[in-house]
Amino acid sequence: MERSILLVEDNPDDRALTMRALQKNQMLNPVLIAEDGVHALEILLGGPASAPADPPPALVLLDLKLPKVDGLEVLKAVRSDPRTRLLPVVVLTSSKEEQDLVASYRLGANSYIRKPVEFTKFVEAVRQLGLYWLVLNEAPPAGAAAGGSPERGVDHD
Amino acid sequence: MKPRALIVDDSITVRMDLKDSLEEAGISVALSATAAAARDALARTAFDVVILDVMLPDADGLELLRDLKSDPATAGIPVMLLSSEGEVRDRVRGMAVGADEYLGKPYNRVQVVSRTRALCRKGRSQGREKRLVLVVDDSPSFRGRITEALEEGGYEVAEAANGEDGLRLAAELRPDAMLVDQQMPGLDGVGVLRMLRADAALRRLPCLLLTASQEPDAELRALESGADAYLPKSGETDLVLAKLAALLRSGAGPRDPGSETGTSLLEAKRVLAVDDSPSYLAELSDRLREDAYDVIGAASGEDALQLLAAQSVDAILLDRMMPGLSGQETCRRIKANPSWRDIPLLLLTASQDRQDVLDGIQAGADDYIIKSDDFNVLKARLKAQLRRRQFEDENRVFRERILRQEMEALEMQAVKELAESRAAHIAALEENNRELSKAREEALALAKELESFSYSVSHDLRAPLRSIDGFSLALMEDDAERLDEAGMGHLRRIRAATQRMGQLIDDMLGLAKVSRKEMALEDLDLSDMVRRIGEELAAREPGRKVRLDVQPDLRLKGDAGLVRILLENLLNNAWKFTKGRDEAHIAFFAETTAEGNPAFTLRDDGAGFDMAYAHKLFGVFQRLHSAAEFPGTGVGLATVSRIVGRHRGRIWAEGRPGEGAAFHFTW
Repeated sequence: MERSILLVEDNPDDRALTMRALQKNQMLNPVLIAEDGVHALEILLGGPASAPADPPPALVLLDLKLPKVDGLEVLKAVRSDPRTRLLPVVVLTSSKEEQDLVASYRLGANSYIRKPVEFTKFVEAVRQLGLYWLVLNEAPPAGAAAGGSPERGVDHD
Repeated sequence: MKPRALIVDDSITVRMDLKDSLEEAGISVALSATAAAARDALARTAFDVVILDVMLPDADGLELLRDLKSDPATAGIPVMLLSSEGEVRDRVRGMAVGADEYLGKPYNRVQVVSRTRALCRKGRSQGREKRLVLVVDDSPSFRGRITEALEEGGYEVAEAANGEDGLRLAAELRPDAMLVDQQMPGLDGVGVLRMLRADAALRRLPCLLLTASQEPDAELRALESGADAYLPKSGETDLVLAKLAALLRSGAGPRDPGSETGTSLLEAKRVLAVDDSPSYLAELSDRLREDAYDVIGAASGEDALQLLAAQSVDAILLDRMMPGLSGQETCRRIKANPSWRDIPLLLLTASQDRQDVLDGIQAGADDYIIKSDDFNVLKARLKAQLRRRQFEDENRVFRERILRQEMEALEMQAVKELAESRAAHIAALEENNRELSKAREEALALAKELESFSYSVSHDLRAPLRSIDGFSLALMEDDAERLDEAGMGHLRRIRAATQRMGQLIDDMLGLAKVSRKEMALEDLDLSDMVRRIGEELAAREPGRKVRLDVQPDLRLKGDAGLVRILLENLLNNAWKFTKGRDEAHIAFFAETTAEGNPAFTLRDDGAGFDMAYAHKLFGVFQRLHSAAEFPGTGVGLATVSRIVGRHRGRIWAEGRPGEGAAFHFTW
């Protein structure tokens, strides 16, 4: 089964457009949606009433401007938890303000993509990042950082 | 070392007399009877003073004086001329040739000694290194004993054998302390002290009274009379030295500044006597010399005026009836001269005519004396005039001191006011600073606000644009069969406008960033930067044929990031506006402005512009071409201009439609 993608995005328009772009690129992985930072962390690390997603998502598409807990805080929490320390996180956001770029990379983002206004360009961007992170890139073994579940392999396609 | 004096006089009597007097006063003496011998002595020995007779057997004393004063080796030695009375012209000539002092013969021994001493000090170092103590005692043996002890104790010593001489020497020498014997014939110790304490110039001179008396109230009387300390003359010189040291220590502070410069009434006074009768002049001079006046005789009014020009005197006695210049006229002329008018002048006359008296007073005489054989009246009148003069001097000194104090007070006031105004100024400055720092804080807050505004714009303004564009496209794709060509056209316009707005937002954010970016100045290779940007542009549009000529090694100090944005914008424009050329030509080079400063120029042969609109080029959203012709937001040159402004530089442009444009900048 295809590993899932976690899309962290509060704007429903952007969620719909991102889904559309994924479909246009025939990326049929299941997509988990988190509408704010708290929800995203519940999915990744588990919450008071829920366990973390199992298996964990193969890729996180993370918006920065989020209600409750913003994207940078999510990133920080993900990188400081051994279970998700090596999880590929692509920041997908509107701005290319220097402060966001620097902070994202400093906190351990794997990539930073600014959503272009023009939808065709956005579709192309999603195609490329999907190709790279879900196809070309060899992800670290799941749970490697946590030191557990050594028998679990990595899905390729 | 003892001071050395050379006495040059052909009279053996004079030589021996002066030698004894000077040696008694602690001055070592060499004697010469002729000018030749004197020259010889001067060549061999360094003297502190020369006492020179004007009339020498082998030469004119004035010749010798002139030679002395013109030879650098001897020019510094003070010379006292001694001359017989009646030789007024000699006196005038002597002073003119450079004599430091001129005393008439017959001389007063005390005067010669004190003046000699004064000249020694003048020749030596202007001031004295050792403390000078004046010993006034009539007993030569005691003087010898105490002088020896004092000199061993490191003091310089002057001696006087009686009270009168003591007072005169005190006035002449201004010693640091005085030892006075209480029992002396004539003016005794207590009398000396009384006179001293009554004299403005000498009243602060520390005095030690010595006495052989065993009377119980001797000390009381001594202290009453103004002595600073009292010692029995028991023979213990150690005790005298100890007491003296204590006295000098306690009085070591600055002396009364007025007395330092003032003249003392007790000083020997120089009197100019003018009379055409030699016998009266001789008589007058003799009688005055009895009272230790230095008398200069002059036989005529003309002589008197000449002499006054050469040597100052303390008083003038002037005969009214003289051939040539009359006494009255001489008096008038003396009183008309600003530097002589204050010298007390006593007119002498044989007549008792009331009109003569009135005329004399009118001519400016200070007193009027009937000639007689009794010189006591004359002496008393003379003394009265000198005293009056002295008091006037003291008053003047006093007035000057008050004036000086007032001036100082005024100055202090001015300084205080200056300090106050400076304090006010500083307070104002501080207020300014406070306002400035407040303004700065406000500016910083504003900048921060602008930054968060930019941030929000960057995030929030673009998101809806993405939706508009994205869903417009979705509509075009998913519902193409339900839309006609017009509907599809509307959606295309919506998308174009959306994308254009996205570009505008990006450019505006870039402009804002240029304004708030912190600058770091460094030396930049502009030529290299232009070349790289050109390569990037060429790579982006491989189909274009553009020749870019860059003058090498053009350097400028600036912020690397901002200068790069500046050059990118200018090159982008050049690239964009030359797109109509089959083969475009862009050049980057330096030239010298009309003011002689280097300016950098980027020139293209593109579409150019009309100079009539040149002033609009650098404004935000100002465009001289349609978006269809050359796409753009009108922010690029505004950004360029702002970057130049941040470097405190200047940018200007030239162009002609269809012929290209040139942009110049400098800082």
